[in-house]
Amino acid sequence: MSEKEHKVSRRQFLTYSLVGVGGFMAASAISPMVRFALDPALEAGGESDYVAVTTVDQLSEEPQRFDFQVEVVDAWYTSNQPRSAWIYKEGDEIIALSPQCTHLGCTVNWNANEDHPNQFYCPCHDGRFEKSGQNVANTPPTRPLDIYEMEVRDGTVYLGKTIERKTV
Amino acid sequence: MKWRTEQMDTYLNAKEYVDTAIIPLMPVDWNNDPKGKVSMGEFTTLLVDELERQFKGRVFQIPPFVYLTSEDDTAKRNRLLAWDKHFFNNGFKYIIYVTSDGEWKRLEKELPDMLLWIPSLSLEAMDESYAKQIVDQQMKQILPLIANKWREEPAERS
Repeated sequence: MSEKEHKVSRRQFLTYSLVGVGGFMAASAISPMVRFALDPALEAGGESDYVAVTTVDQLSEEPQRFDFQVEVVDAWYTSNQPRSAWIYKEGDEIIALSPQCTHLGCTVNWNANEDHPNQFYCPCHDGRFEKSGQNVANTPPTRPLDIYEMEVRDGTVYLGKTIERKTV
Repeated sequence: MKWRTEQMDTYLNAKEYVDTAIIPLMPVDWNNDPKGKVSMGEFTTLLVDELERQFKGRVFQIPPFVYLTSEDDTAKRNRLLAWDKHFFNNGFKYIIYVTSDGEWKRLEKELPDMLLWIPSLSLEAMDESYAKQIVDQQMKQILPLIANKWREEPAERS
């Protein structure tokens, strides 16, 4: 029998098996590393970050305050912490603003100061924001109120993280 | 702001805006109704945490002023006066003492600044959402008290 009759020569067979086995070994060593490296990316942004806060039919053009709780992991300690949002409708759009004053973090209230109706007002240092969250010039805050990531599913409003804005 | 190092950095950068110290007053008594004292401390903590959340940028939450209920009034008062003086002299124009211990009501006139006495409720028997409502309602009454206080001149210390 001549070599040519073989579809695969002995040398090729050995090369293939070495590459095959070597590749398998390399894969088993590397794949956990890749998995570990990607793990944080795979976890973040999961749907579980969103919390059901209210239903669409409760909302109006007037900002209303809704309180909810989020699970916060601080090192090995997990706790439920209170959060609030000012939510209103504008046409079909739903806007959910963080109540944290962008000056030093006090909680702002809608329409709470007689001198400044239809604005968000911070009782600590008289910071003010328009309904859109835009900070009013010449008051202490230097940027608009943060806005919540929001999703509506089956008439329920879910809120996620807050996003900083430079302008509205 | 809370008693935490990372919040101290914020404080040191914004000192002129933070003019109010909140001091929780907490009784300890392991002989006579210890559970009642724990409940007072717990309720005070709950309220003070919520106050801090509302007024984060203007108040500093000081660690509790703790005392044995057997400590006599004069000693207790003098000790608190020393705390008050310390914070007043170091940049806090307004100082608010928050407690659930009714004993302080008797000493209120001898204190240089504002006492908030809120009788403690036993929240353990209530379900969580009801307990939250109760605290929210208390807060609705307390917040304007503090906002009004800021409109007044700080109390004089002798």
